[in-house]
Amino acid sequence: MNWRMPAFARTTAFRLTLMAAGLFAVSSFVILALVYAYSVGAASRRADATIGQEVAAVEKRFAEGGPGLANRYILQRSVGGSEFLYLLVGPDGERMTGNISALPAVAPDEDGRIRFTYDRAPVDDEDGQNDAATGREARGRIAALPDGYALFVGLDVQEETRLVAGLLNAILVASGLALAFGIVSGVLVSRRFAARLESINAAARQVMTGKFATRAPRTHSGDDLDDLARHFNDMLDRVEHLMHRMRTAGDSIAHDLRLPLTRMRSRLETALVEGADKTDYEAALAQAVSDTDELLKTFNAVLSLTRLQTGERRQAFQTLDPAELLSDIAELYEPVCEDAGLEFSSELASGLTILGDRELIAQLVANLIDNAVKYAPAGEAICLRVRETGSGAVEISVTDTGPGIPAEDRVRVLERFVRLEESRNQPGVGLGLSLVQAIAEVHSAALSLDDGPGTDGAPGLRVALVFPQVK
Amino acid sequence: MRLLIIEDDKDVASFMSRGMKEAGHVIDAAHDGETGLEMARNGGYDVLIVDRMLPKLDGLTVIETLRGEGDQTPVLILSALGEVDDRVQGLKAGGDDYLVKPYAFAELLARVEVLARRRDPDSVKTRLTVGTLDMDLLARTVRRDGEDILLQPREFRLLEFLMRNAGQVVTRTMLLEKVWDYHFDPQTNVIDVHISRLRSKIDKPFDAEMLHTVRGAGYRLSAP
Repeated sequence: MNWRMPAFARTTAFRLTLMAAGLFAVSSFVILALVYAYSVGAASRRADATIGQEVAAVEKRFAEGGPGLANRYILQRSVGGSEFLYLLVGPDGERMTGNISALPAVAPDEDGRIRFTYDRAPVDDEDGQNDAATGREARGRIAALPDGYALFVGLDVQEETRLVAGLLNAILVASGLALAFGIVSGVLVSRRFAARLESINAAARQVMTGKFATRAPRTHSGDDLDDLARHFNDMLDRVEHLMHRMRTAGDSIAHDLRLPLTRMRSRLETALVEGADKTDYEAALAQAVSDTDELLKTFNAVLSLTRLQTGERRQAFQTLDPAELLSDIAELYEPVCEDAGLEFSSELASGLTILGDRELIAQLVANLIDNAVKYAPAGEAICLRVRETGSGAVEISVTDTGPGIPAEDRVRVLERFVRLEESRNQPGVGLGLSLVQAIAEVHSAALSLDDGPGTDGAPGLRVALVFPQVK
Repeated sequence: MRLLIIEDDKDVASFMSRGMKEAGHVIDAAHDGETGLEMARNGGYDVLIVDRMLPKLDGLTVIETLRGEGDQTPVLILSALGEVDDRVQGLKAGGDDYLVKPYAFAELLARVEVLARRRDPDSVKTRLTVGTLDMDLLARTVRRDGEDILLQPREFRLLEFLMRNAGQVVTRTMLLEKVWDYHFDPQTNVIDVHISRLRSKIDKPFDAEMLHTVRGAGYRLSAP
């Protein structure tokens, strides 16, 4: 079977339309069939009623004037061609009168009704047409009369039958047309649907071949297919963003690891070439071990940063009391600040709720305090604060009166491995704030860096996170 | 003590074995999950050190199987996966402690030694005593040489942990994990600061030092 259905015929839309068309055709057929059955029944009933009246008329004459009167009545009615067929049979079975020679050779049903065909002598009626004279449809009834007489009255129903047969034809044609229209509209609808789907599929294929900038065309009609295209495009944007991030991360790691690795290698090489005694070697090895530790630390920080940015931690988020969380951190860091000669205070509004990961938020706040401790000279102050903003969101902030970060550098310091010139002599690899940024992002919290309450020389720094409201 | 290490990297395993032997322990090594499980079943180990990713049978399955058989030997899980979920998974499988690779050997040694001692029914005690240092866990009071020492709640927990592991080296990471329940790596010396505060209360007013700094490893509390 190499034959394949044309593209539109394989679409869901086509199948659905076809199904709908089929259902429509079947149901219209059923409805029309009912009409037909009813019409047939009505025609037969009408014929039977007419026959019944005629039988009653003959019976009446018979009762009034015996066979003679009935005979005359029948003769009168049959002269000049009648729609009725009559046969009066005497007690001995002999034909008395009538316009047919014998009873039709069909057995009557329990009511004495007979359905039969008969041949008629050709008649030229007014329309001049010579109607078919043989095999005409007729219905009739045999009635018993007093004294052993029997009466047969028949009625020609050829016209009604033809009418009903015409109706049947019309029904079949109508059903066929309904089905055909259904198929045609199915083809039209599915062609259109298939074309739009194909445009999305084409975009997907382009992306698969590596043309990542391709996007599915939009109609902006807001219908389901347009929605699909929009989601498809949004998904690609997100994937592209993540890919870009990954590439940047890879570059940064390479960049940041190359320097210490090179330094370590040259130190070891120097020791190997110039090392005079055990002391030299030991010093070189000890240095190599501490270099390695530093490298591993960087490496781990980058790894957890990268893993964080995938957002998978979000699944384990819980509702937390920020005051409780921060008072734990405050308790951990207060002695550190005091030892560094910094005045530590905290203002923690209670009864608030945020959705997040305790460990990550603790790490974020710890990072900010670490930074403040690192850069603010003794005598300055640090304040940890939780409050509800005017709009009902929860804000966590760390404020210090230290040197601050110049406004023009505030975006840059959130990038990986960025360290401002002034801080080159401090330990660290420049991942602290990018980790803060990543943690804020995974919590959908808005991160902002502002001047603190300091002076011109030392404006201070206020790092604030606004968490979305918990519903 | 007798240790079993199940680790597929033979270099890492032999490095660990050498270090443990130097520290005076007897150590066996298995390089895949099946052999490791078999050896652990034959028993007699004080602590099992199990790598998470092992050929034939992964580390968590080994631990789950042993726990299912009623084996309560303390287990330390080694893993390259360090996120909170990974840790929770490891502890759920029946591990008693979780150490992320790469780690300093001193950290591993300290954790293994603390684990081996955990079999003592310390936790039901209501009173801890190290030398003349005395802690009442119900009244939440601490005394040294009969003198009351006032501690903040966190200092109390820190000292409690040190006393439960008296004589053992405990690392800064262990303290941050067990006393504060944080698993990240702070940039500053937070733990050192807390230790020095505690020291000023339990050591300074007295003649002999009990809370020692162990270079390159951590701290140890022991009777003077």
